[in-house]
Amino acid sequence: MESKITEVYQNAPVEGKETECEKVSKLLDLVIDGEATSEDQQYFKHHIEDCVSCFESHQKQKLLKGLVCGHLKRVIVPESLALSIKAKIQKTL
Amino acid sequence: MSERTGKQLSKEEKDARFEAELLPVLDPLYNFAYRLTLDEDDANDLVQETYLKAYRFFDYFEQGTNAKAWLFRILKNSFINEFRKKSKQPAKVDYSEVEGYYNSEDVEGESGVATTTDMRTESVQDLIGDEVASALNALPVDFRTVIILCDLEGFTYEEMAKILDIPIGTVRSRLHRARNSLKEKLEKYAKSMGYNSNEI
Ligand SMILES: [Zn+2]
Repeated sequence: MESKITEVYQNAPVEGKETECEKVSKLLDLVIDGEATSEDQQYFKHHIEDCVSCFESHQKQKLLKGLVCGHLKRVIVPESLALSIKAKIQKTL
Repeated sequence: MSERTGKQLSKEEKDARFEAELLPVLDPLYNFAYRLTLDEDDANDLVQETYLKAYRFFDYFEQGTNAKAWLFRILKNSFINEFRKKSKQPAKVDYSEVEGYYNSEDVEGESGVATTTDMRTESVQDLIGDEVASALNALPVDFRTVIILCDLEGFTYEEMAKILDIPIGTVRSRLHRARNSLKEKLEKYAKSMGYNSNEI
């Protein structure tokens, strides 16, 4: 069966762990972006050691961020741009 | 307006400080402008306008503070004003649609070649990069913006809130929705390439 990233992310949490999985899924972006407190990070890390579904969500979200920062090509600044900015500024009082 | 007293910089000193502190941001700023406008000439104009505004308000910029976030904020505001003007020009929109149509045919031709080559070659890396770019470009500009600021430029949520003039809670929810949209678009691509989304 094909797994779908968004479906996994929105999946009903494993029974008995309901509140934990929900809490962890709310922390996901914070953890990925380095915005979680160290306490939350610990909690998150500890949870995904045991929970396959949250572990997978974490992998997928990391992959997505990696696709943007690792594969999106940067455009090259035209050489004339810095010169023309400097020239305009020199003329500005 | 009150006259600024105290240590007034000479024009040379001001220009030197301006260039030293703000010009190093040119590369990320141009890339941001390009991802917003999706047009090199527009990006060029937007960046020039941003620097001229920054120069006019340079007295208000505190030395040693976050020059990058400050410039990104000015650029974002200029873009919103520009964008409003441009959106009243349907001719330009029509043209870009035609252009996109022909480009997509070209890409199809190239991908046919690429699939016959080694999957680990640079052309496949390029292909992934192109696909990420077109998925990103297809997002609404607000979604594109938060992904660029966060994932490409590494701004914190707090910096993003300042750049975009929105509360941190809005930054978080917008980023979350933007990522979900991007995921959906990239999944379609992964399937069309015969990958399972686990293996992108
Ligand atoms: Zn869980």
